[in-house]
Amino acid sequence: MKFTLDWLKEYVDTGDLSPDTLAEHLTMLGLEVDSVTPLFPELQPLKTAKVLSVEAHPNADKLHLCEVAVGDDTLTIVCGAPNVRKDLVTAIALVGTVMPDGTKIKASKVRGVKSHGMLCSERELGLSDSHDGIMELPSDLEHGQPLLEALGMNDLLVEVDLTPNRPDCASVIGIAREVAGITRTPLTLPVEKTTLEHSNRDFSVDVENSEMCPRYAARLIRNVKIEQSPWWIRKRLLSIGLRPINNVVDITNLVMMEYGQPLHAFDYDTLGGNQIIVRQPRNDEKTFTTLDGEEHTLDTSMLMICDANEPVAVAGVMGGMNSEVSETTTNILLESACFNAVSVRRTARKLKLATEASYRFERGVDPGGCVTAMERAVSLFCEIAGGDAAQGGVDYYGGVRPLNSQKLRISRTSALLGIDLDYEKITDVLQSIGIRCKPKDDDTIWVNPPTFRIDIEREVDLVEEVARLVGYNNIPTNLPTVSLSYPEQDAKRKLRTQATNLLADMGFSEAINYSFVTEQHVSMMNLAEDDIRRAQVKLLNPLSEEQSVMRTMLLPGLLENLKRNINFQKTAVKIFEIGKVFTPQGDNEQPVEKERLTCILSGKRSGEASSLYNSDDNVDIFDAKGMVELLLETLRLYGCGEDVIRFRTPDENEADLFADPAQCLLLESEQGTVGQLSRLLPEIAKQFGIKQDVFFIDLDFELLSTLKSAVKNFQPLPVYPAVKRDIALLVPAGTKAGDLLDTIRTSKEKFIEHCEVFDVYQGKSLDAGMKSVAVSVTYRSPTKTLTEKNVNKSHTKIINTLTSKFNGSLREG
Amino acid sequence: MEQELVNLQNQAKEQLATIENDGQLEEFRIRFLGRKSQFSSIMKGLAEVAKEDKPRLGQMANSIKKEIEALYDTKRQEISSNSSASSADNNGIDLTLPGRKPQTGKLHPVTQIMNEVCSIFESLGFSVAEGPDVEHDHYNFEALNIPAHHPARDMHDTFYVSDSILLRTHTSPMQARIMETRQPPLRVIAPGKVYRCDSDITHTPMFHQVEGFLVDRDVSFADLKGVLTIFTQKMFDRDLELRFRPSFFPFTEPSAEVDIACVMCGGSGCRVCKRTGWLEILGSGMIDPEVFKMVGYDPEVYSGFAFGLGIERIAMLKYGIDDIRLYYENDLRFLSQF
Repeated sequence: MKFTLDWLKEYVDTGDLSPDTLAEHLTMLGLEVDSVTPLFPELQPLKTAKVLSVEAHPNADKLHLCEVAVGDDTLTIVCGAPNVRKDLVTAIALVGTVMPDGTKIKASKVRGVKSHGMLCSERELGLSDSHDGIMELPSDLEHGQPLLEALGMNDLLVEVDLTPNRPDCASVIGIAREVAGITRTPLTLPVEKTTLEHSNRDFSVDVENSEMCPRYAARLIRNVKIEQSPWWIRKRLLSIGLRPINNVVDITNLVMMEYGQPLHAFDYDTLGGNQIIVRQPRNDEKTFTTLDGEEHTLDTSMLMICDANEPVAVAGVMGGMNSEVSETTTNILLESACFNAVSVRRTARKLKLATEASYRFERGVDPGGCVTAMERAVSLFCEIAGGDAAQGGVDYYGGVRPLNSQKLRISRTSALLGIDLDYEKITDVLQSIGIRCKPKDDDTIWVNPPTFRIDIEREVDLVEEVARLVGYNNIPTNLPTVSLSYPEQDAKRKLRTQATNLLADMGFSEAINYSFVTEQHVSMMNLAEDDIRRAQVKLLNPLSEEQSVMRTMLLPGLLENLKRNINFQKTAVKIFEIGKVFTPQGDNEQPVEKERLTCILSGKRSGEASSLYNSDDNVDIFDAKGMVELLLETLRLYGCGEDVIRFRTPDENEADLFADPAQCLLLESEQGTVGQLSRLLPEIAKQFGIKQDVFFIDLDFELLSTLKSAVKNFQPLPVYPAVKRDIALLVPAGTKAGDLLDTIRTSKEKFIEHCEVFDVYQGKSLDAGMKSVAVSVTYRSPTKTLTEKNVNKSHTKIINTLTSKFNGSLREG
Repeated sequence: MEQELVNLQNQAKEQLATIENDGQLEEFRIRFLGRKSQFSSIMKGLAEVAKEDKPRLGQMANSIKKEIEALYDTKRQEISSNSSASSADNNGIDLTLPGRKPQTGKLHPVTQIMNEVCSIFESLGFSVAEGPDVEHDHYNFEALNIPAHHPARDMHDTFYVSDSILLRTHTSPMQARIMETRQPPLRVIAPGKVYRCDSDITHTPMFHQVEGFLVDRDVSFADLKGVLTIFTQKMFDRDLELRFRPSFFPFTEPSAEVDIACVMCGGSGCRVCKRTGWLEILGSGMIDPEVFKMVGYDPEVYSGFAFGLGIERIAMLKYGIDDIRLYYENDLRFLSQF
């Protein structure tokens, strides 16, 4: 909602409030002032000028040489306007002025004669489309003064961000009412509340649906002369960004901005049968052309204003081409109505039309204000457009509901707001904005809100009014008294915090990607045709193709992040994301949302760390595996007694088509596959523009959070020393180190505490097809110091078992 | 031979115990471990022992040698650490070289702020609940007193999945979901992602919110002010001036926006606060009786307040981030700053 300070002051005395203070007051009343800015700042350098003499240009027929007075200066100006003449007062842009369109006025020669500025048309100043000649200002204006001052436009534009509950303030008078509450001064209105003499000899109005059109008032004005509006009306409209059209249309717009009541003027002589019928379209009325020239498709849910034959306007939205006021119009029928908010909103949405009128009707127009606003317009038609108002008119109000008084409890108001209020205080603030009050009993007030406050329907709405008017910042600050209770923590959330903190400690940075992605991701990942992740939840109204479906996996987003970082020369990347993926269900059902945890690792292992101490090696699958092991150990799902999760290699054709089957491990639990860690196939990486090796970890976080972690259980510290023995085994190259260790662990030998691989070697000094695996075994007894003999016995057995089971031999030397 | 080995082992241990400096240590190394050491000469004798004794003696010799080596290493470290501790004049170590830093990553700034917000409210006894991103029209709108064709729907540019399913435009649906299944007293916050079809320098189509509400008997607007004042001051680590300003949300009445004195200019007016000196940081209000009625609470018995705040906005204010789109590009140069 825009208005200017001068305009506001027509209706209310703002006293000694400065513009900033006034804005502050409005903001604190819930009418948030977005900005207070000078009007037309780009016109500030322009001045008024008086033409002293006009001569023909020596070298051009259509140009004139003018002597122009601007204050104390007399300038020579070349001007081509047909209306330039002696004594004309007009607008001048002096040398150096930047015009609204950005051009800078220079002293330049026009056909050999130097011109020291430019006399301007309204179009050149952005004030209208008129370019027939230069601006004609009242001849008694002094020359040399700032143009804005001369035009009475030295004014401030105020922009208020209206909340949807205050349509009454979508009008300058509405704002003035609030200001009157602040300054406690009376309003000065152009037309006070009036009634209409109900007589319609010349035309008839029939409203078929009182629900959709609770009120419809109309009057006939004859013999209007269509012309340009006087400056004061155009000024008002221009100042808030509305384009003046002609006096009749401008008056309806001006009054709408004043009172918040949309008005529509029909060319009376185009209305068939001198009839207005407010009804829904008939089945055969399929299209309608609005006055902007657009053809619209109608449906029978819409409300139309019709004459005896056909629709002439879309009720509350826009008039029709067929009944538009034109230059030749002489008689007009003025409509001032109240339409149902939901009906107007539906219609405007369907027709994709948003007008000043529909904005107001959608939010609610004062059903009690139709006639008052109409009378204001009628008086202007008579005064400015020379019209004769026909006696009386029509005022249908069959759908207006009677106003009921409301009860407001003082105790309830005080309790809800947490401030002690009494009858005097409450009635004082409510009455300051025209809400009438009278006592009912000790605790209850009868309250009558004015008809324009359609938002006040319940006691709580009045409580809000009281709070707003008392001032939120005058309400004390307190803390609630509540009984003590323990806020239960969601297990998944706890685990998420634990996992993300750990991952960050392990060198991963957290990424957050949009939940919606391109539909292409599933193909770029080469998902199998029957992969469930190919089924995606589609948005009906995406912003772009890039964000058109809900993601079914996190990996593609992270790959895009990797690519972006590589582009910015960050090639060592460890990032993770924890977030939801979406699996569609039925059409009008919510999808299944499941959280996943996905990490990617790529580039140098040591990341950004100085290569002073670190090798330049790149990460490999064992980095990924190690990260998972550490994560799962910390979550006590692995490596803590019984493993809840186990690693296994995928069966043939089991690995995802984007994973390297030779470097892929699945994580299994009793409850199913928890996820995987793999190398991304280079051809998939290429789909994302990535040329370096990428490893990823992808976990079903939902499932992970349901797994029961190992309890922490104290083990007494060993008292007796351990004995460590190494074995270097030569085994066929295909032998898995894990199998060797499992064999040792599951052997029946006593005293084995721990075993681990400490070296794997394959190379020249060994026979082809063989590799050396060095394992160290730690022996310890809880009850004694082990002797050589104890250990040797077990150790020899283990060596024998290993060599025979794996077809190997002890490596010499 | 066996006896020779054991003797040698004992001698070595004895001598090692008396060693105090590098010179003595080197003498020891030559005597016991060098190529011409006593140990080597014994080992040479191994060739002449009986074949059946060879493996046993060999193994024994090896383990003794290893033990002596280990003892030698320990001693060497002991001596060297003693000497470097005392040598302040040692200019061989260049301490201007960088330290060996373990590489760590960073949590996303949104997560960091989210955790901070949640922990403030958890300290006040609020529990945390999370809900679906893809929501029913009912919970996102209807249950919050925003019927179809309500102009307030203009404030929510909604992504739709079907006629009745949408991406939630705020975390407020959790109010209805929780009140539907639980009875007061309630103190709950609901963090999560929300979506609006809007994208420019100050809007991304996805962002994060935390919704919170408290319902009990006799909860007042003054209580709302108290709780949100504590939150704001903890969040910004200081006694910021704040103001409560009337606003409108269909699911609260009265409704209030909370503004803080601009953290950039301290209230004197700058570009960030659009010269007003104030920054809007959260929306709040007393829960509307209609919302209570829809979940079956008696508004004459219970009252409560609700609030919602945008995480990205708070992070922007706290960290001075000037372009919201940076949040979702996941550029390590951005992420590593927080």
